[in-house]
Amino acid sequence: MYPLINRLARGMAILGGLVLTLLILLVCLSVLGRSVSTLLHGQFMQTYFSGLCDWALGIGIGAINGDFELVEAGIAFAIFAFLPLCQLTQGHATVDIFTAKLSPRKNRFLQTVSECLFACVLALIAWRLFAGMEAKQRYGETTFLLQFPIWWAYAASFLGASIAALVSIYLATLKSLEMLTGQRFIPENEGVDQ
Amino acid sequence: MTALEIGLASFPALLALIFLRVPIGLAMFLVGFTGLYLVTGSPNMALAKMKNEAYSTFSNYSLSIIPMFLLMGQFATLGGMSQALFKAAESWLGHRKGGIAMAAIGACAGFGAIAGSSLATAGTMGRVALPELKAYGYAGGFSTATLAAGGTLGILIPPSVVLVIYAILAEQNISKLFLAAFVPGIMAALGYMLAISFYVRLYPNRAGTRAPVAYKDRFKALGKVWSVVAIFLLVIFGIAGDWNWAKSGTQALFTPTEGAAIGAFGVGLMAWRSGGLTWSSLVDSFLITGRSSAMIFFIILGAGFYNGFLSLTQVPQETASWVVKQGLSPMGVLLLILIFYLLLGCLMDSLSMILLTVPIFFPVVTSLDFGLPSEHLAIWFGILVLIVVEVGLITPPVGLNLFVINAMDRQTPAVDTYKAVGFFVATDLIRVAILISFPAITLFLVTK
Repeated sequence: MYPLINRLARGMAILGGLVLTLLILLVCLSVLGRSVSTLLHGQFMQTYFSGLCDWALGIGIGAINGDFELVEAGIAFAIFAFLPLCQLTQGHATVDIFTAKLSPRKNRFLQTVSECLFACVLALIAWRLFAGMEAKQRYGETTFLLQFPIWWAYAASFLGASIAALVSIYLATLKSLEMLTGQRFIPENEGVDQ
Repeated sequence: MTALEIGLASFPALLALIFLRVPIGLAMFLVGFTGLYLVTGSPNMALAKMKNEAYSTFSNYSLSIIPMFLLMGQFATLGGMSQALFKAAESWLGHRKGGIAMAAIGACAGFGAIAGSSLATAGTMGRVALPELKAYGYAGGFSTATLAAGGTLGILIPPSVVLVIYAILAEQNISKLFLAAFVPGIMAALGYMLAISFYVRLYPNRAGTRAPVAYKDRFKALGKVWSVVAIFLLVIFGIAGDWNWAKSGTQALFTPTEGAAIGAFGVGLMAWRSGGLTWSSLVDSFLITGRSSAMIFFIILGAGFYNGFLSLTQVPQETASWVVKQGLSPMGVLLLILIFYLLLGCLMDSLSMILLTVPIFFPVVTSLDFGLPSEHLAIWFGILVLIVVEVGLITPPVGLNLFVINAMDRQTPAVDTYKAVGFFVATDLIRVAILISFPAITLFLVTK
């Protein structure tokens, strides 16, 4: 089970990274298009190369329409896709100074409680995101420029959110079992760098 | 309990959870959720809020800078830029007293200009510079302290993840904040170099010497880092420069998000050309970027929830008016806040601290009269907070940068690092005092 969860979390993170990369390329293209278009609209180019300008602007050189809407939807997906990996590799920021002096047993207990709370919250987030998606679908809300339905972006995000919840529930179960039986189920030293 | 009382009671509850090692974002979320439940008497409002809160936080256009800058930092590491920067700085400074440590600081400043996080800067530069410092006979604690301090330049010198968060919380212009952080960032680097030269005069046997490098080789080494400089200048002046004087207001070339995308693309291209960017290293960059981004965004989500609850209870407004009523001098209040940050910074990471405290302190500071227009006050306060928060990263015993660097050099006892880092912290405090006394140092670039 663990290798499967591990691959799922990593796979989602890589997918998120690819989307992030695509967004970076998209934004760069859009800025390039906008700069060229500004140049072509300028006095110098219009005076001396009006034919070229008309042709280039005619084939649609310019900023990509609604690029920031794609950035918003894409980044939301990427972050939700990054969540499962962060969950699995315990990447969340904590303050360890006061618990450092407690025994390993007490620390394990605290971590188990945290993970259980996390599982509840992530499940709650996924559930509410789904409710939000249904609402957007019902009212047929679309983005301003591209007119794509907002619920698509919610649906993509829901994929990441539900996998994050799944990973967290899995970890919470394993940690609780470890507490009760005293055996280890989660491989130690699992991290991004390995 | 009145709403205000619930709001006030939420602080000890939140701190208790955080100190019990509940992840900070989760703790803020839980307290915010429970608080909303208690104040409104039913879970409905909190549940309704959650329908859109997570999506709208994660899809925030301004916040999309953060994963882009994180990825850019990863690309910079892959492209061997940390190595090139250190070589260039070392060839110019290495023969001086303490010169190799100074070179490490200079390289950290350069790397900070293309990376937005302190831990990444400390980690990356540590791998490159620690072995060299050892090779030239620099004492262990001195070397680790230098790199821990140098790491804070990652966030003091723009682009900076913490400044992005501050800008959003305080509703300020990100570009102007980046520009304002520029001079204090350079001052930080120079201050650290001064600390080094002071240290080696005090303990001459803790640093080795080296013969000067020929000028021809110096320029050759410098030639290898021009691209880093070019990308930094393009990003910073593209988002903060005024490119059309004919129109009123600042006419920037692109938005901060666009700047981040262009920077990430440029650095990625360099990494690819240098042969460092392969599919497997790209996957690693995705994993590291993804993990940090998810961590940061989850804290932002938790903080958004908690701060939404707090503002419903009127705690920030009441605190601000209470402070004004006490009749303390504005400067006194500012000093108290900065000292509070220094102390809290010994316990908590900078991002969580900013998210937790700025919604309370910002209204307090803006309601006081410092003789500055409100926008300038917001920028000045933001830079001061950025610096004191970062000092926490190198303050023993729990400064995170110290941990990162000490983990790389097991032979050096942590105590040695603590002793040497005091010199760097001292220059930090002097710098804060200078910036408080002369707000113009921070503001002259943004007020024209």
